[in-house]
Amino acid sequence: MMAAKTTARAMGLSTFLKSLFSLYLFLTLFSKSSVECFNLDDQFEEELLIKPLNNDFVYAYFQFTTTWDVPFEAKSFQNCHLFPRVLGEVLGQYSVQELHLSLTQGLWRHEKYGYPVVDAPAGTEIWAWFKEGTKDVNKSWKMLTSALSGLFCASLNFVEPHNTLSPTLSFAPTGAVPPGVHSNSSLLRYSTLPREVVCTENLTPWKKLLPCDSKRGLATLLNAGHIYNTNYHSLGIHVRPICKDISCESTAVELKQTVSLVYDMLQVGSLSRDWSFRKLFGQGLSGPCPLASSSRVYVDTTQNGSIFEFQLRPEPKAVLKSIRGGATSKIAMYDLKTMHLVSLLNIAATYTGEKLEHVNISPVLYANRYIIGYGQENGGIVTKVINNHWQPLDIVYMENIPWFLPVYLHTFQAEVNGRQLVPHAINFVPGRERERPYQLEVALRIPARSTTTLSITFDYIFLKWQEYPPDANHGFYVGAAVITSSLPVARNYTGVPHDGSTLLTRSVLIHCLRQIFLNQDKSFENSIIRFCRND
Amino acid sequence: MRYSGFQKVIEERVEVSTPLNSWKRVTEGVHLMKNGISPYEGDLFHETPLGLFFYSWLLTLKQPLLDLFFILMDAATCLCLQSVAASYSAQAVAKEKENKKKYSEDSHGIILTEEQVQRVPLYVVFCFNFNPFSILSCVGKTTTVVNNFFVALTLLSMCKGWMFLCCAALALATYQTFYSMVFIVPSCMYIIQLKKIKKSWPVILIMVTTFGVFLGSLLYLSMVFTDSWTFLSSTYKFLILVPDLRPNVGLFWYFFTEMFEHFRALFVCAFQINCFLYLAPLALRLRKEPMLLAFSLAALITVFRSYPSVSDLGFYFGMLPIWLHLLPYMQQGFVVCCFILFSSGLGPVVWQLWIYMRSGNANFYFGVTLAFATAQIFLITDILFAYIKREFTLVNGTKRELKGKPAKLVLE
Repeated sequence: MMAAKTTARAMGLSTFLKSLFSLYLFLTLFSKSSVECFNLDDQFEEELLIKPLNNDFVYAYFQFTTTWDVPFEAKSFQNCHLFPRVLGEVLGQYSVQELHLSLTQGLWRHEKYGYPVVDAPAGTEIWAWFKEGTKDVNKSWKMLTSALSGLFCASLNFVEPHNTLSPTLSFAPTGAVPPGVHSNSSLLRYSTLPREVVCTENLTPWKKLLPCDSKRGLATLLNAGHIYNTNYHSLGIHVRPICKDISCESTAVELKQTVSLVYDMLQVGSLSRDWSFRKLFGQGLSGPCPLASSSRVYVDTTQNGSIFEFQLRPEPKAVLKSIRGGATSKIAMYDLKTMHLVSLLNIAATYTGEKLEHVNISPVLYANRYIIGYGQENGGIVTKVINNHWQPLDIVYMENIPWFLPVYLHTFQAEVNGRQLVPHAINFVPGRERERPYQLEVALRIPARSTTTLSITFDYIFLKWQEYPPDANHGFYVGAAVITSSLPVARNYTGVPHDGSTLLTRSVLIHCLRQIFLNQDKSFENSIIRFCRND
Repeated sequence: MRYSGFQKVIEERVEVSTPLNSWKRVTEGVHLMKNGISPYEGDLFHETPLGLFFYSWLLTLKQPLLDLFFILMDAATCLCLQSVAASYSAQAVAKEKENKKKYSEDSHGIILTEEQVQRVPLYVVFCFNFNPFSILSCVGKTTTVVNNFFVALTLLSMCKGWMFLCCAALALATYQTFYSMVFIVPSCMYIIQLKKIKKSWPVILIMVTTFGVFLGSLLYLSMVFTDSWTFLSSTYKFLILVPDLRPNVGLFWYFFTEMFEHFRALFVCAFQINCFLYLAPLALRLRKEPMLLAFSLAALITVFRSYPSVSDLGFYFGMLPIWLHLLPYMQQGFVVCCFILFSSGLGPVVWQLWIYMRSGNANFYFGVTLAFATAQIFLITDILFAYIKREFTLVNGTKRELKGKPAKLVLE
């Protein structure tokens, strides 16, 4: 500053102004080039897939993908263009390799709906892989969940060691893993908060991470008043490193924000199966997000003409054929970037054919779970895994049992038609009261066309009076069990044809959740508390 | 009963099996060990490491042999108690004959005779074997059966004056539940009195050291077997801090469920001290009768330990006939009998109401366990008071007169 002033005095005012001008020019040029550089590096794509399901259900799936050609490091997130900086900073700070978060209300019924694009259990599910060499993974995990709790206004701060697992067989990284690094489950943390509810307060901060917020583009369709009318809705955030090219020598960052909605048209609409944007989301679409490199709406028309018949309006410009795992799906596509919208776009389907009572074709592999036993002394968890395939399937079954249900491993049984199955591997981490949940992972091969019954017994623990939730009679929730399998055929599979990522995974997670009632009569406790206070 | 459908039910009753002695948990621990997972990592297994190895061998046996083991254990305990009763009674008769001169003239009629105590061992056998509490614990395959055997062995070797065996058995019992360590005091006293040793300190020192060495080596062996001291927190810490609040016949569970968290440490101390607090006053008062001291300690431990079961109760009920000569001086026999009968009948009923029908609540069950504990306390105080009254009568005669008026002995 001092030096500049002396020069100005010596050279006179005009020269000073000249030098200032040149500095300004230089700065402007530099900043412009940097913007261009960002534009080359990152891109944003928005997609909406609508899939009419059987039984008058309609599945709407939004996917907003931001990819950015930078290394997944803390300093990359100091200057962000399309990528949300708040999220990037958190990820960089706590050396996260991969993050998956979902906030869900309702139960995805695999038997009826088929498979969703992204599976999510009811409540909140979060899992993250940390980078190799993270000093204190537990501390980073706690800090990460606390930060995300603030970011999404969700009670993720309730993620504690007593509800966190490190599965060894399930939850492999979905993104690019640096060469030479073996997935080490000590870097993985998984937790569910099954009682957590999702609402507008989570949707609003979620939308703020999008480049266009909810001002333009497909995100304008996400109106809280309409999307919370659904039978199932799930918000998701998925961040992972992806390969830049086939050789995968360098990686890029991918952020996928998803919303899954299942509408029961008979409830939403006027008792007809017809659906339209206006009916589903309350308004039409004004146009794409200007920052998006592609903006598309897909309608799955595979079953149009076989199980039901509907007419789309306006007519789709193109119909894509997508072949995955031997199953062909037909998808009508609307490209918002090339469409000239005069008024609001309202894609509508009018059902023409008669309503047919049809046989539900269930997916290859699905499961359900329930509690057995009566009373509050001891009980059991039974999971039925149904394999509809003509070949045996290898599955990994993961059970996440909270500390207040101590399970007895010696009572674990896998049974098919009265015959005992011998698991390939069992990985069991016994829990500790108020410290650690029970983690059970079983790898087994289930025979073709069979129902396998997996069962384990537990005792009810007697809690201290402060440990009951406010509404004790409501009961306690137990997190979802997860079944991971590599499916040979893609029947009932749902996917966006071009999903902006290089990795195509066929492993399917089946989550199921039942709640357990552990309600104990609290009247005695109330009376005692009152007694103490009167004292 | 072993082969009836009731076996499973009995095994899982809260009155019979507690987290410490439940056979289901032993099975789980052995299963975990065989799958290469340390049972002390988890929260279900609370037996000692040597116990774990022993039970894992036991579980390789066939079902009838396994049942036979429990029956044999019970039978051995019974035999021990029987010979304890026999030798103690003989010694008591001899002692009273010896002291006859010191006693009052008109109380010679109540001095113990051989005919009187002749049938006591038989009664002990009946009382132990046909006692529903010990039958339940044997059928329920509780590991307290093993502990009871070691305590009975301690008492037997104490009566016979086998110092070394006494210490070894006591160390094994203490290794399983540390409450048993209080028996070292009556053992020392009894052996000193039995052998009529003038200088008592060397004997006490020898016995305590032997006991300590045994216990230390047991713990060290456990450490060597499991390669770490983690078993301590699963066994002794679990016993002291009472983290498992599953109801049982004791008093801890309810208090620790309902307590404000910041009082917890204080109350843990206050509750645990009960087991050891009465040792000193009772030892001073009953210095002439260490057997009664041992008996009352066994009963007090049952009332005040953190995870009691009816199996502990069955054990000291088996010893009751030894005090047959105190019966005429007892006042509350009827009350105690009613209390115990009613509470053991009501307990399962109230449990059913609370846990299965959901029409009751924890207060009812706690009320029953409280009555149960009260009955036991009544029984102990009654026996102790009866003993004091009898001593008084022996010395002062059967007439109760105070300044020429009829008087009554009152416990104050």
